[in-house]
Amino acid sequence: MTPSKGEHARFDPSHAAPTPATRRMRRRKLPLAMALNLAPMIDITFLLLIFFLVTTTFKRAEGVLAAKMPEDSGVSGPALPISPIIVRIRQPEPSSGHYVIQIDNAVRQPLTFDELAQFLVNFQANPGFDRQTPVVIYPEVDVKWDYVVNGWNAAVRAQCANITFAGG
Amino acid sequence: MKITHAKQSRSPVSFNMTPMIDVVFMLIIFFMLVSTFASVENLQMDLPDPDSSEAVTAKLTDRVVINCLPSNPASPASGRTIYSVGPLHVDSLDDLSNRLAAAKVATPNLQVVLRADKRLPYATVRKVMEVIARNKIQVMNIVAHVKGGEAG
Repeated sequence: MTPSKGEHARFDPSHAAPTPATRRMRRRKLPLAMALNLAPMIDITFLLLIFFLVTTTFKRAEGVLAAKMPEDSGVSGPALPISPIIVRIRQPEPSSGHYVIQIDNAVRQPLTFDELAQFLVNFQANPGFDRQTPVVIYPEVDVKWDYVVNGWNAAVRAQCANITFAGG
Repeated sequence: MKITHAKQSRSPVSFNMTPMIDVVFMLIIFFMLVSTFASVENLQMDLPDPDSSEAVTAKLTDRVVINCLPSNPASPASGRTIYSVGPLHVDSLDDLSNRLAAAKVATPNLQVVLRADKRLPYATVRKVMEVIARNKIQVMNIVAHVKGGEAG
């Protein structure tokens, strides 16, 4: 049918011969073939995140100070062949955080465990003493375990090879 | 006066989730890496915290963990002390000794990891050390905080 006068011919691309422009239009009309639905993944991810946020508690890492136990008897070890360095620790008032370190036969006493470590290092330089010289940590019964471990740690810092506990 | 509005093109509003997912994944990977789940055999307590600690983290095999903590943290010296071998509570030091002896028979090279609350008096921990020595266990590892850093 030919258009009458005054009537414009309508362009129908489906019936027209495919030109490059019409090809582009057809391609644009195609529906999207694949769409990734991210919602479930984000759900799970957020759940994991919330779980870790809630359950994580940051705390100081713990380690160990190794100690060899006496082989023969449990309660008291054998008599020491050479005179050991005896480190006494006491707490004048057990409820307070104050402690006193006292080393037998020493003129100047260390006031802190840092000073104790330094004292033991200096002591090893004296003639007749070395790293093998026994160090006896001798806390009083009511001294807090924290201070006992501090004393042991100070001797380990001074690289003493023979450290023992006594007292109690 | 004729006001003409510029006709805005209708582009669909979309939310770009890529950076958010990136950040969330980063956070998850961070938490997964730093998390170490609390072991049931390590009871929660205040561990000793020495100055310039020489304590080292070590993966010990053939070990048994002994926990000692005060039943009443407000007065650790006067109250009862709770002992446990791993997660299992023991009623007395004799019971502790029996368990250690049985573990020593099963594992001759047994090591003891002694976790004691820092507020306990020395006399209390000393009794446990005597039990360990009586059972002829050769290595006792005293647990303390390591120097400085934090871990999950």
